[in-house]
Amino acid sequence: MSPKPIFQTFDLTKRFGNLAAVNNASLEIYEGEIVGLIGPNGAGKTTFFNTVTGLYRHDSGRVVFKGADISSLYPHEICKLGACRTFQVVKSFAKMTVEEAVRVGAYNRHGEKDVMAKVDEVIAFLDLEDIRKQKCAELGLAPLKRVELARAMATEPTLLLLDEAGAGLNPRETVELMAMLRRLNEEKDITLCVVEHVMQMVMGLCERIIVMDYGEIIAEGSPEEISQNEKVIEAYLGRRAAR
Amino acid sequence: MKRSGEAKPVNVAVLMSLTGLAIALAMPALIGSNQHTMLLAITVLIYAALATAWNIIGGMAGQLDFAAGAYLGLGAFTAGTLLIRWNITPWLGMILGGLVAGGFAVLIGYPLFLFRVREVWYSIASVALVEVLRAAFLLWDEVGGPLERYLPFYSESLYQSFYTMRFRSYVPLYYITLAILVAALLANQRIGNSRLGYYLLALGQNEDAAEVLGVDARSCKLKALAAYAFLSGAVGVIYASLYGFISPAFFSMNLSTEVAILGIVGGMGITYGPLVAAVIMVSGREFLRANLSTQMETLYLVVYSLALILVVLFRPEGIATVFRDAYARVTSRFAGDQDVA
Repeated sequence: MSPKPIFQTFDLTKRFGNLAAVNNASLEIYEGEIVGLIGPNGAGKTTFFNTVTGLYRHDSGRVVFKGADISSLYPHEICKLGACRTFQVVKSFAKMTVEEAVRVGAYNRHGEKDVMAKVDEVIAFLDLEDIRKQKCAELGLAPLKRVELARAMATEPTLLLLDEAGAGLNPRETVELMAMLRRLNEEKDITLCVVEHVMQMVMGLCERIIVMDYGEIIAEGSPEEISQNEKVIEAYLGRRAAR
Repeated sequence: MKRSGEAKPVNVAVLMSLTGLAIALAMPALIGSNQHTMLLAITVLIYAALATAWNIIGGMAGQLDFAAGAYLGLGAFTAGTLLIRWNITPWLGMILGGLVAGGFAVLIGYPLFLFRVREVWYSIASVALVEVLRAAFLLWDEVGGPLERYLPFYSESLYQSFYTMRFRSYVPLYYITLAILVAALLANQRIGNSRLGYYLLALGQNEDAAEVLGVDARSCKLKALAAYAFLSGAVGVIYASLYGFISPAFFSMNLSTEVAILGIVGGMGITYGPLVAAVIMVSGREFLRANLSTQMETLYLVVYSLALILVVLFRPEGIATVFRDAYARVTSRFAGDQDVA
């Protein structure tokens, strides 16, 4: 049985002036997988995320999610369809408590009556019970990232795009995060696409990896294939190292 | 045990609100004979109602709005013109004035939010709105013009007084303003505890993050703006009745700024924050003006500004939090005593 793509882009391009930050990028994400999107700094990964989630308007190409063209939709409409994301630089609701922040996400699919049940479920799942009454402004980076994940999970997505969820975490926190993401994938059937610099996470978590450089997709394959790929080594280390 | 602990603060809050309401209701009986104090009380209520309405767009949705005067003026002119020209009662004019203000706000807000005008640019646009409307009403001879247009004089007939909302005493107007303030507080409370309230708070703090969580920022902001404008328009009718005329001077930048300041100083997003700020600051201002103007006419402004600076320095989250913290301390001590017992 061949896997079903849940999310596809076709020749997606996003320019800033003359610079094509995302250049004719075509890729597929298959239902149920954990796919990694990697590339050197400035490769266009975050711009890619911003474009496919509707925060930026694309210049050309198409984005298809669950068979529907979402390239001209607003972020909230894309969220309703079931694709959600987190941010590289944490964007927290500083004045809200953890519980309230998760509640914002939970309202996506729940009315006043059962919204708190969803909040409780997410908080229990991501183990946020002891900080649920704390203000987001008082939290450190690691818990904030978890809150951001909780917020996104509360919207009940089928596809979750994570922009450097592991950045700035210490090794223990990274291992915890990986376990958590695996549980999200297996128990909640959420397809994950992770942009990541932490190689430990990419190699340990992803079944498939897509590599970007200068806005283009330059390689795709299993972690082993990617680590041997000449173009990838060249992109990261320079031409000489590749030879 | 836990359940009763959760239920108690709600009851205390309701109790405190009812006490506040009782005091407000009894106020005219206490000071009704002093016309000056009654006028001051109405002024405080007008500012409190405006700032409480402002809290929806400014405090919750985080849009620093300076257009209170625009919506107040639209409400005043709608009801005033209806009364002067067609003898239509301001009771109806109050609703229509609110609707005109709210409708106009949506008309202005739609393109603003569509093109993602936010933060400082939104503030500039709202300032412009007040100024443009004042200029427009100065030039629009049919309803505005540079001269005040007087409402009918109050009548000895009780029916006529009520019909034209023009009273010999300040007391009826006091109660009408109080009713609008209560409506504004209830609107805050209702919105704050609903999906819309959470969405507004979220987008006020981080619009991008809110949007990817499914928040339709544009429609939420429009709803908040419309609610705020409707209430401000209704207050405009009180304003007209209090002064006895309508004038383009109602589209006032001073008033708009003061409303925003009360909202900020009171505590953004706290339902009763603007009310607390209005009671302290507006009566304080009037007290200073009455007592310092013998020394120097504008000295009260210096003291007023100093107080403002102190609040921003030491309580940037708003003066209402002083009371909230004190209240939390009292209840926690109370709860602690109970545990011992």
